[in-house]
Amino acid sequence: MNRGAALTGSLLVATGLSIFAWKTLVLHLPVLPSNVENLWRVELEIDARGSGQRGSVRASLPDSDSQQEIFDERQTNDRLVFTIRTEKTGQRLGVWSGKFDGVHNLSHAFRVQLAEEPLPLPTELALEPPKDVVDSYLHSSGRFPSDAPEIRDLLANLGPPNPSDPLGQMRVLLGYVTDEILTANTGSDDALLTLAAGEGSQVGKARLLVALLRAAGYPARISAGLRLHADKEAREAIWAEAWVGGAWIALSPSLGFFGARPPDLLLLRTGSSTLVEETGLDALSFRYRVLRESLRANEVASFMVPSNPLLAAISLYRLPVGSQSALRILLVFPIGALIIALIRNIIGVRTFGTFMPLLISLALRELPLTLGLALVGSVIALGIVSRFLLERLQLLLVPRLGVLLCLVVLAITAQSLLGRTYEVKNLYASVLFPVVIMTMLIERFSITTAEEGLPAAVRRLATSTAAAVCVYPIFRIAALEHLMFGFPELVLSVMGVLVWIGGYTGYRASELWRFRSLARGREEEPR
Amino acid sequence: MTISARLRALGVLGMNRRNGVYTSRWNQRMHYPSVDDKLETKRLLRDAGIATAPVLAVARLHSEVRRMLHDLDSYASFVIKPAHGAMGNGILVVLERDGDWFMKTGGQWVDRRALSYHSESIISGAYALGGQPDVAFAEERLQAHPDLRAITAEGVPDVRVVVYRGVPVMSMTRLPTRRSRGRANLHQGAVGAGVELDSGVTNFAVCDGRSVDVHPDTQQAVLARAIPEWERVLEIAVRASDQTRLGYVGADVVIDAEHGPLVLELNARPGLAIQIANRAGLVPRLTEVDRSVRPDMHWSDRIALARDIARRARGGSLQ
Repeated sequence: MNRGAALTGSLLVATGLSIFAWKTLVLHLPVLPSNVENLWRVELEIDARGSGQRGSVRASLPDSDSQQEIFDERQTNDRLVFTIRTEKTGQRLGVWSGKFDGVHNLSHAFRVQLAEEPLPLPTELALEPPKDVVDSYLHSSGRFPSDAPEIRDLLANLGPPNPSDPLGQMRVLLGYVTDEILTANTGSDDALLTLAAGEGSQVGKARLLVALLRAAGYPARISAGLRLHADKEAREAIWAEAWVGGAWIALSPSLGFFGARPPDLLLLRTGSSTLVEETGLDALSFRYRVLRESLRANEVASFMVPSNPLLAAISLYRLPVGSQSALRILLVFPIGALIIALIRNIIGVRTFGTFMPLLISLALRELPLTLGLALVGSVIALGIVSRFLLERLQLLLVPRLGVLLCLVVLAITAQSLLGRTYEVKNLYASVLFPVVIMTMLIERFSITTAEEGLPAAVRRLATSTAAAVCVYPIFRIAALEHLMFGFPELVLSVMGVLVWIGGYTGYRASELWRFRSLARGREEEPR
Repeated sequence: MTISARLRALGVLGMNRRNGVYTSRWNQRMHYPSVDDKLETKRLLRDAGIATAPVLAVARLHSEVRRMLHDLDSYASFVIKPAHGAMGNGILVVLERDGDWFMKTGGQWVDRRALSYHSESIISGAYALGGQPDVAFAEERLQAHPDLRAITAEGVPDVRVVVYRGVPVMSMTRLPTRRSRGRANLHQGAVGAGVELDSGVTNFAVCDGRSVDVHPDTQQAVLARAIPEWERVLEIAVRASDQTRLGYVGADVVIDAEHGPLVLELNARPGLAIQIANRAGLVPRLTEVDRSVRPDMHWSDRIALARDIARRARGGSLQ
């Protein structure tokens, strides 16, 4: 290794490691994720468009209760005035008001710790509901038509009220709506239509259940929130709540729970299924982004507000959720480059394309390895077969690659349809860009087959796959992701190691095999 | 002693060292185009009076393919090549023709459309290193020298000379086999026979990583063969490398039955298999060149130095 490379490499490695050491040893930032359960960062993003009139956007804000603890709330207001209003039901609303002119990007973010242990069911079943609860949640209305004859008939068929076992009767009602009414995204939101059609939306089923509960004499209301899922857009969930024994218990005919919310459900609003409302606007769109935290609340705080003001200014934990999740993947890339450099320059294995294995394993990130390899493998196999058939048409290079690309797209589309059937969700959610790489891989494979023979092409495909398998774990190890995200200075150290590898002029492992006859020959037959 | 230590003791050059110490230092990127483009190489060498395989026709655009094939009508055999091809990829050899039908190496007959498709693929960049648009050209098909025909199947053998800072350091002849489909590439199954630089005689041969004494197809001895016109082979290899301004070059020379030795192509990243064919490492010779070569040495003096180094390397007095 030349001195320049050795020196530069050492300097980079040392710089990265010393910043890392300072942050861990002096500032006591945690090196490993503590694997805390059910701590999430949730961000509501709102795009509101107006044409100069005054208006407002109202978003339901969550409250801490026995099953969830909300903290670290923050929001952006983009030229508007933000206030928090508490309705008489206790529901908190975040209100952005002012003159809406053009597009306003609003956001409200918070962290939430969801309870891991479900609540015990209430035991004081004989308690009478207080008057304000009865006034608000027992009457029949258009949304919850508990006086409708269909509801009364159904209730009579399901069995007479039993005051000594309210929970038992609620289970019967829940069981009926869960099992006898289908959940369909296209279903009706109306309670009576849902009952008549035998299928309804989440809202329709929840309203039907509320109507049944009220008809049976239990105060009931509708609730809305989010189902949290790492790496995916959070989905809205609607369920019912009933007052019994001095508390509200949750019942969901769509998600199928009774008594307490499951540990991945965040309650945002009670008494209504609307999460974000507006007045005076031209258009409104909103989405919830969710990120699973790997650190305890106090540890997150230590990253966000370290004692050192410079560090606080550049802490990645302060970024919006969207850029955080992108950066979490991005910062792992250097490790992938390091592994590829090791494979090619120290081990000496030839692969198709320099960083192709890295991108393939990125594509497989969300899937179990075997399933992912099978999916990508079948796309590539189909492509290779088609490529040999295409050869007969004698097409020009670029259109031929285009045809291959179309085939790859079609194959992925077909797999996604199959995936839906088999409940493999988001099969290729993040696989959009490697399409081009897969196309090039197919073309390179075919040309290598033509030029160097099938065995050589298969061999190189095997080594490329092996390289992808070697890189794959780095995208799956949560500790590594946390390490690189919390300590991005380690990229400098990785660069340093890459410089070292770049300056390595010794033999590659594969060359020991390649030149083995030289090493052996001279010893056996000295001349 | 570990394999690694044994290889180091023999002075075997590895890929990392070749790239990191020799090519990156002596082959400046700006001089690569002159060897990566075969037509450019030919122009360079022709200007210096060095023989190359004659070019029959060139097609730079898709629309010129028809004219190129038309220009080839008067030739019974020829070779179509990409200007930017690597490792012999994209080379189509026509051995015989019958009107609009052409026989490729291996005896397969194809029609005119197949030739035009192949040429268009070349122009689209299917065989070029970076996939960039390329140029297709047709070259006269060379004939193996009578002295080498006995140890050749299907193709034309060539002589690879590695020239370091203007001094030949190692050479081998590459003999096509049926399995290599007429190609002179060792990893495709051709025979590689080390040629002693001072005498021009083969002294060792490998095929598929195994030591061989005879050509696998013709069963004729490949050892102790004298390469015809060896003086001239060394001369054009050295003078061609001088033209490129590259310090670490693999010169491929074909000894044509009619024209004698001519430069087929030059390579700025010559492979390392030549060490296996010579059963010797490159490093001691490269080090000796670094020690002995002086700037402004005439090419004939450099060849004399090369012979001296080769003799001493064989005698074991180089370290």
